[in-house]
Formats: sequence, C-alpha cells, structure tokens
Amino acid sequence: MSSIVTAERLSKTFQVKVRDPGLRGALRALFRPHYRDVLAVRDVTFGIDPGEIVAFLGPNGAGKTTTLKMLAGLLYPTGGRVEVAGFIPWTGGPAFKRRIALVLGNRQQLVWDLPPEETFLLNRAIYDVGDGDYRERLAELVALLELGDVLQKPVRQLSLGERMKCELVASLLHRPPLLFLDEPTLGLDVTAQDAIRRFLIEYRDRHGATVLLTSHYMQDVTALASRVLMINRGRLLYDGALEALVARIARTKRIELVLGGGDGNRVTAEALAAFGEVKSFHFPNAVLEVRREDAPTMSARLLAALPVADLSIEDPPIEEVIRLAFARGGEEDE
Amino acid sequence: MIRRYAALIRNAWLVDLQYRASIVLWLLWGVTEPAIALGIWWAIAGDGSVAGYARADFARYFFAVMLINQLTIAWDSWYLDRWIRDGELNFRLARPLHPAHEAVAENLAYKARTASVILVVWLVVAVAWPAVRLPFAPGRWAITAVAVVLAAAMRFFISFTTGLLAFWTTRATAIMELHAGVSLFLAGRIAPLALLPPAVAGIAGVLWFRSMLAFPVDLLTGTVQGTDAILRGLGGQIVWLGVWILAYRVAWSRGIRKYGAVGG
Repeated sequence: MSSIVTAERLSKTFQVKVRDPGLRGALRALFRPHYRDVLAVRDVTFGIDPGEIVAFLGPNGAGKTTTLKMLAGLLYPTGGRVEVAGFIPWTGGPAFKRRIALVLGNRQQLVWDLPPEETFLLNRAIYDVGDGDYRERLAELVALLELGDVLQKPVRQLSLGERMKCELVASLLHRPPLLFLDEPTLGLDVTAQDAIRRFLIEYRDRHGATVLLTSHYMQDVTALASRVLMINRGRLLYDGALEALVARIARTKRIELVLGGGDGNRVTAEALAAFGEVKSFHFPNAVLEVRREDAPTMSARLLAALPVADLSIEDPPIEEVIRLAFARGGEEDE
Repeated sequence: MIRRYAALIRNAWLVDLQYRASIVLWLLWGVTEPAIALGIWWAIAGDGSVAGYARADFARYFFAVMLINQLTIAWDSWYLDRWIRDGELNFRLARPLHPAHEAVAENLAYKARTASVILVVWLVVAVAWPAVRLPFAPGRWAITAVAVVLAAAMRFFISFTTGLLAFWTTRATAIMELHAGVSLFLAGRIAPLALLPPAVAGIAGVLWFRSMLAFPVDLLTGTVQGTDAILRGLGGQIVWLGVWILAYRVAWSRGIRKYGAVGG
C-alpha cells in the first residue's frame, strides 16, 4: 500500500528572540535583538498508510504539534520533504485543504455566540458540500456522537465535551480522508474522552479515514492508535506498534499474585523477595517485578513453592514505559 | 464564491444580533466624531465663512464624512492581530478559503448595516434641515460610488496589512492607532483638507490619506469640480490601492512563512 503521508528528514527551526530579564535587558533587546535557533523538529522521517490511526507521543514542547502543523500545511518546514494525500501541504492550496480536517483541542472554530449548526452551515458553504450530502453526513455524525439536542444551543452554553464533539462535526462535513487531531480530548471528562475515542474508531472503520493525533493521555494512545511515533526534543525516538515499544523498553514484567493459605502459613514479603523485586504487597495481593525473560520460569517456581490462588503476567504500566523511553532518548541526546 | 460570502455575511449578522447594544454604541461612535467637528466649525464660521466654507457647507461636508467614513472604515488589523497572536488563524489556514475573504465578508456585513442606518438618519435630517441636502446629481453619485469602493478597498488593505505585522511585532494595533491618529487630520475627518495649511494638505494629497476619505467626500458634496480633478483623484486612489495591495502581498507571503502557529 502506498503511503498517504510521507515525511523525509522533516525539520523546523524557529527563531526566538532572547532577552535578559529586567529593564536593561528589555532595552538591549530593543536596540540589539539577539536570536536563538530553536530546533523544534529535527530530521523526522516516517510514512503512514491509509486507514491507520497513528499517535504522536511526547512531552510538551517535544515537537509533535509542530510536526502535525507542518503536515497540515500551516507551518513552513525549514528542511526536508513532506507529501500528504499527494500534495505538498504548503503549496497544496484549496484542493489539499479539502482532503484534510484539522481539529485543535485548544483553538476552536465554532462561532462562540451562535448555535453550532450555524458553523456547520458556514462550512457547508466553504467546502461546497451539496445539500443532500450535508443532510446525510450531519445526521450520521450527530447520531454517532449523540448530539441530538445541542445543535440549537449557543456554543457558549455547551459543555467542553459537547463543544469538542461539535468541533468534530464541523471538521468532518466535507468527509476528508485524512484527520489531524491535536489534543482532541484535552480537558474532557472520562466519559467524553471515551465517546470521542469510540467515535474516531467508528469513523475510521466506516470511511477508511486516516487519523493522526497528538495527545497527553495515554488512554487515547492505547485505545486508538495501532502505531505510535514518539517524539522528544524534535527527534523521532520510536516508530512502531505500542506493544513492540513496551517489549523493547521494558526489560521487566510484572507478576501479579493473589495468594492463598490461611493465617497460620501466611506468605511473607521476605519469602516473595526470593523470586523478584516486590513492588507491592498487601496480603493476599502481591506484585513482583522480574526480568522479562525470567517471567515464565519464575511463574512456574512461584506456583510450585507458594499457595497461589491466582497469577498473571503483565507489562509494566504504559506511562512508566513511556517515561523510561523518554529518559533514555534524552540521554542519547546529550 | 457567492454562496460562501452569503454564508459568511449571514453569520456576521447573526452574531451582530446577539450584541444589539454594541451596534448602537458603534453607531453613536461613528456619528459623534463628525458631529463634534461640525459643532466646532459651525461656531467658528458664524454668519460668515472659513476658507470658503459657510455653515451649510460644513453641515453637508460632515454628513458626507459620517456616511463615507462608515462605508470605508476597516477594523481588520484588530482581527488579524488577535488571529495571529492567539492562534485563531490556525483553523482559518486549514480551510479551503483564504482568510482575507472572511475579512472582506465581515467588512461588507458591517458596512451594510451601519451605512444604511446613517443614510436613513441623513435622509430624515435632510427633510427638516435643508442645509444638509445635496443637489440631485445621479452622475456625481455614481462616480462617488466608484471612489467609495476604491477607498474602502484601500482602507481594507491598509488595515489587513498592518494587522499582518503581528507576525513580527506585538504592537501591530498600536501602529494602526497611530495611522488612525494621523488620518484624523490628513484624511479630512476633523476638517476639510482645504482648511489645513497648504503644505500639510499637500502631504495628504501626495500620500494615500486624501484618497481614503476626503476625496470621495469632496466628490459627493461637489467640492471637486471638473473632469481633470475627478480623474486625478480617481487615479491617485487607484495608484495607492495598487501600492497597498502590493504591500499586503509581500507581508502575507513573508509573514505566513514566519508564522509560528501558536499553541502546542
């Protein structure tokens, strides 16, 4: 399958004015401004196939939103090559923009003082959506996002979750094959986050859309993305499936135990420590950490030696894996 | 494109309807400045005249200023400044419609509503007060309409281009304020240019300020006479419109490359 998004050695450098603190610094900056180059994105290369849901992962300021904005044609790359849906985004013009949707979690396009339907009607005109298509797509999106009774309320009276759902409707009326979502679940409660995630998967399955998103929420990534692009300090640290990342980064596994046995022969923490590092122990529950390759043999030994009621082998929490990955990526960078 | 403009103007009016009080305030603002200027010159002129302007001439002049200023004024630098600094430009750049079209539609919506009210006010006042009546001259009105369109287009590009300076500086609106202050005198907002010292009036004529307002106003009131003077005035408008379109194009293409797309 040929890629719908290709980035080769994509780079973006911002010039940032630096000034010393205080009045003297301000004056000096006025007459002799100093600039510092900030390498927001450095030599990032990847390709994305149609229908994929890919998540950009990284801390604040890592360069993930900058990358997304270059793909959407908002920012001018300082180096490298990028092709999206057959276009160079920066020069793609209206034909390119009809092929994409850009949803920004913190900057909304809905007209604040009017009901969301007015923004939908505006976008119908801007994207030249026919009346029949408009009605059909609006009905579908409203049903999928369960938006029935909010369309006539002014946007300023909607909850954050309702606004984000309406934002998605406004961005998808022209049925773009490619969605760029920057923090689509930012600030939403768990129910609303979940509704957005289920919607995105359903929408992809129905229309074969490709979805690229950035998010702080690990849940977004684990629930949605078949693939992650991990970015830190402008560099691509990892590109692949989340499970493979965990396997590569996490050198340990967790054995979660529910212990049996009565009060007389209670298992002690000392007894458990012989099998691995005890991460937590509140009888009858215990969590042990062991080397990844030792997990099967340790489990067998545990079962043989202790009164075990239940045992499961888990990867460490994904947040911890990511933290490890960034820490390691940072070290390589120094 | 007509459908898009219709949708944009419709939304602008719908938003207006949410803020009826602010419409009244803006209208008062548009009326107050020329009304005060008229009051002052009315008192100064007395029963005589100043540089050929008698009371009735001042009255016609400032009613024309009131109408034509509202028809040509542009607020785009304030919008642009906010769009750029707050990142509201982002979704506008992602749409298959240049953001300038939205700005033009906003202008049309604003001008249609304020100018129509002022026109009605003028007509009502003219019934009671003969001094502000204009002689019936459809040909002159048609030429004035052309001059008003040119002035409105130029003031739009001035404001939009100045707003684009927000790509480089946080003081874009301050620059626009400065321009507005200068135009108070040089565009003829507080006095007909004929009353300014000749050197100052000369600067207003050489630069774009006369084309912004004073020229269409003088056309409407009949102060500009003769084919030569009319053609020179229109020619000046076209030249300066061209210059500002050029400035806009340079500022847009450079600024958009510099854009940091705020947020994230």
